[in-house]
Amino acid sequence: MTTTARRPQYLSHALLLTLSFLAIFPIYWMIITSVRPEREIYSPAPIPGEVSFENYERAWNAIPMARMLGNTIATAVSQTIFQLTTSVLAAYAFARWRFPGRNILYALFALTWLVPFQAIMIPNYVLLTQLGWRDTLFALIVPNIGSAFAVLLLFQSFKAFPLELIDAARIDGAGSWGILWRVVFPNLRASIASLGVLLFISSWNDYFWPLLVTSRPENSTVQIGLQAFMSSDMNLWGPLMAAATLASLPILVMYLLLQRQVIDSFVKSGLR
Amino acid sequence: MRKLFLGLVFVVALLITGSAFAQDFPTIPEGETVTIRFYSYNLGNATFGPGTEQLIAEFMELNPNVIVEGVAVPAGEMTARVQADIAAGTPPDVAQLIFDATDFIVNNFAAVPLESIVPAEELAAHFEGFSPNGLRLGQLNDQTYGLAFTFSTPVLFYNADVLRAAGLDPENPPTTWEEVKEASLTITETTDFEGVHIAGLGGFDWLTQSLINSNGGSVMNDDRTEIAFGSEEAIGAISMWQDLVLSGAHTRLTDGEAVETMFTGQLGFYLQTSALHFGMSNAAEGAGWELRAAPMPQFGDLPTVPVNSGSALFILSDDPARQRASWEFLKFVTSERGYTIITSQMGYLTLRPSIVEEPEYLQAWAEENPYIFVNLEQLTRLEPWASYPGPNWRQIETILLEAVQTAVTSEGDVATIMTDAATRAQALMP
Repeated sequence: MTTTARRPQYLSHALLLTLSFLAIFPIYWMIITSVRPEREIYSPAPIPGEVSFENYERAWNAIPMARMLGNTIATAVSQTIFQLTTSVLAAYAFARWRFPGRNILYALFALTWLVPFQAIMIPNYVLLTQLGWRDTLFALIVPNIGSAFAVLLLFQSFKAFPLELIDAARIDGAGSWGILWRVVFPNLRASIASLGVLLFISSWNDYFWPLLVTSRPENSTVQIGLQAFMSSDMNLWGPLMAAATLASLPILVMYLLLQRQVIDSFVKSGLR
Repeated sequence: MRKLFLGLVFVVALLITGSAFAQDFPTIPEGETVTIRFYSYNLGNATFGPGTEQLIAEFMELNPNVIVEGVAVPAGEMTARVQADIAAGTPPDVAQLIFDATDFIVNNFAAVPLESIVPAEELAAHFEGFSPNGLRLGQLNDQTYGLAFTFSTPVLFYNADVLRAAGLDPENPPTTWEEVKEASLTITETTDFEGVHIAGLGGFDWLTQSLINSNGGSVMNDDRTEIAFGSEEAIGAISMWQDLVLSGAHTRLTDGEAVETMFTGQLGFYLQTSALHFGMSNAAEGAGWELRAAPMPQFGDLPTVPVNSGSALFILSDDPARQRASWEFLKFVTSERGYTIITSQMGYLTLRPSIVEEPEYLQAWAEENPYIFVNLEQLTRLEPWASYPGPNWRQIETILLEAVQTAVTSEGDVATIMTDAATRAQALMP
């Protein structure tokens, strides 16, 4: 290999290293702040002088962390499954079926994506109150079982799927249900998985809706729990970082499990 | 004879009115239990939550026929949450709401004036011992809608070690803004520490109102129809702040950065709510510096006119039994015992100043925390946090805050910035 060929490689590695550092450093800082004792909490030292788990103890005792994590996992997993199921069905119908009013219906779906949450918040809240669902998991999950964003995203993937394969399956006697789950779905698994990750993260990080519909901390999600360590005048950084570390662990685990699918999806869309 | 007749008429009228009120405001029947929902932004907060929980627990122990369901709602989301609940037909019975929204709460949340439900004698008996200025905080149009729950006044926190390092005397902190500027410049010129920071660049405008009022101005006229923060006095107050920044005496940090700079012992003076004292003293202890507090500095010879921060408890229930239970709850939290918990556990000011001298309440605590006397002294000159009328109250507050930010973070002409802001705000007044 020549020197001129090596130089760009060094440069790209240097760039990637810098970007990796920028991505990882906030997570590193969150973790080391969570193990700093109170008197060192504002220390700029990159390595804590002393490691203490008192912030984890304080965070765990101040809020019902286990219940909140359980609620958040249940909400995020349910929402992701429901949103993926409804969006796969809707996107397939929009992409591959011809029916009267299809374009208008699709436009309406697209428009709902543009309606700000604040505009529909009160009617949704009133309805949930009438149903007696306030302060329950139903209130957290049911209003979010459909996602216009997911439908729009999958619509593009389904539309790009080769028609020849669908026709071939139909000639072989497969119905729409069989075509969707046996032909289209396995081939678009990477796109669906990456969408799943996005939906899961979005649901995991949801703050305002859980805040509105839950009253007791034990029925709420961990994002609301983090608020316990914050106020307009000052934050309790140690317990806040400990709680944030605990709150981000499941997301990290999920990303590690699905990272291959996510990367595949990005590579495929990049090659297309 | 005429006097006697008038006196008799007065007594009869009082008895009739009193009995009518008593009939309208029933006590909770024996054997029955009333549950009330209490929205609080202190609940669920790691610093202020335990004190609030203690208030609820002690109240329920004394009143076994009332169950208080505390619901934690962050301060910033409180108005939206109460609005949503009102739309759903399930408003909370008692809500802890911030004073700047008082007008909106009264006109849109159907807040219940205490005079309309509580017999006059009972109300007068409970208000005995209240600071008259403190009582005014939750009043509008001569009616008491809210009772001050967690409120405070601005104090000048200072780091005695920083002052010593700069050759200043921590026993004699500055009392005027001129002295603050001089002392802060001494700090920045002779040490590596920062000088002063006034924490009013974002969030709420109570501290800005404190400065404007203390320079002889106000943000609104007395009948609350005209915006007045374009006045000469207001311009003078903000010009002083801009001068502090431009001279280098004031930090060029955000409020959030400034509080952390103070916590780490790198800042000389910090004007902020005294409610921060607990967090600040913990930080000072951890970082090893000496925390002290002085009254808010004044403009020349003008005595300061501090404006309070904080919140009041409002009754929003329209059910007589829950109104009674709510009133009993309000009575307890604003009693001598209630304020003892609020002040000693949460760091806020008491509406009953005399309890700092009473051994069964705050005497011992006050001796260990003398900053409370700075606060109490300022209570005698306190003006209520002005609440802008109409649905655009929050926008008006934001216009003022943004104008102040623009003025103190630039070299712009303060008069132009403030009069322009006042004109825009006036257009939003009802």
